[in-house]
Amino acid sequence: MKAIISAVMCLLAATGAFAADACYQDVSLDCGQASTSLALPRCNAVYGEYGRHGNVATEMQAYANLHLERSYEYLLSAAYFNNYQTNRAGFSKLFKKLSDQAWEKTIELIKHVTMRGDEMNFSQRSTQKPVERKNYTVELHELESLAKALDTQKELAERAFYIHREATRNSQHLHDPEIAQYLEEEFIEDQSKTIREIAGHTTDLKRFITANNGQDLSLALYLFDEYLQKTV
Amino acid sequence: MKTLLAVAAFLAVCAPSLATQCHVNPVNIPKEWITMHRPCRDSMRRQIQMEVAASLQYLAMGAHFSKDSVNRPGFAKLFFEAGSEEREHAMKLIEYLLMRGELTSDVTSLITIRPPERKTWDNGVEALEHALKMESDVTKSIRTVIHACEDDNEFNDYHLVDYLTGEFLEEQYKGQRDLAGKASTLKKMLDRHSSLGEFIFDKKLLGIDV
Repeated sequence: MKAIISAVMCLLAATGAFAADACYQDVSLDCGQASTSLALPRCNAVYGEYGRHGNVATEMQAYANLHLERSYEYLLSAAYFNNYQTNRAGFSKLFKKLSDQAWEKTIELIKHVTMRGDEMNFSQRSTQKPVERKNYTVELHELESLAKALDTQKELAERAFYIHREATRNSQHLHDPEIAQYLEEEFIEDQSKTIREIAGHTTDLKRFITANNGQDLSLALYLFDEYLQKTV
Repeated sequence: MKTLLAVAAFLAVCAPSLATQCHVNPVNIPKEWITMHRPCRDSMRRQIQMEVAASLQYLAMGAHFSKDSVNRPGFAKLFFEAGSEEREHAMKLIEYLLMRGELTSDVTSLITIRPPERKTWDNGVEALEHALKMESDVTKSIRTVIHACEDDNEFNDYHLVDYLTGEFLEEQYKGQRDLAGKASTLKKMLDRHSSLGEFIFDKKLLGIDV
């Protein structure tokens, strides 16, 4: 009898017709049986078909991995700007802040993946084409490094847009307002501010570099670094 | 067409003088003060990579104990914090190299991100014992760096050796003692009350007295 009911349950689960009291049924079936173990496979945190359809669940794992990689890249940029030759403490501080932020977001994303009843996969990559990383180097001059940071922050922001789009598709299997809301609140809002800030820095530097026939360059870079030290 | 070519040719000839310079040319500074030797420097670089790898392995532990089917938020908190500590160790070693005039080149290759080796643990004790093993490996590796930095015939790097001994080994020994104590306490509780024991210990790690 138990086997038949289980088979029916599995069939129901497979067709996507989830009984609203699946966990309760598992408990009712298994408690009182001649066995010392309780499996209760449907007593878990998964709801709204998270991880069963579409790629939102895997993209969330990949998003955590992307933050992890970018966090350590930013850390190396911070290191490079703090060597005795570059000696730009302000730029170093800016990259250290970006690294800290990406690291914290990595941990937040891992926690969120597991909150939704999934597990973290550190090898998962996005189906979205990553920004070209061949010959990647952190050994860049001031404006180049800001340009790279701006591109990287946009990559992170646009990836959030992509996952949000996947999570808000008008389909009963794919619509996941919890993920959409989480991305909006914890990522999308702050990302626009960071992007604007770095874009603003490039505007200032661009002007300093060309002003006065390039004569202001060395002093401008020095002063801009001092400015970053005080404001980042 | 002809004028266009002429303009292009003019631009090509004048390009060097028209080019926008976006950065200051490098300058030369005397280098006698940069005294670290290669074997010592290389072992420091390897140590940084090892701390980074440990940080990722701790993240995997945090991820495991966060799962709904495991549900040990106290252990997860402990391991996520340990991961951040390992990252800070890597940063401290980098700061040291910078102070000694290093990391002017080959910075990008300093850190490589590889997925952590292990993903699941049977229970809290197993994870604590794995963490203890990892810390012992890190300690052993720091001792290797110390050897490389003081056994150099031409240059005994006293200061780095003192820094590693005083700051890093100190922290390693304290951390190991802490993990070993936690593992012992938990293991004693598990002797008779396996699931209740781990539950209570987990809440203790969260700062909740049950």
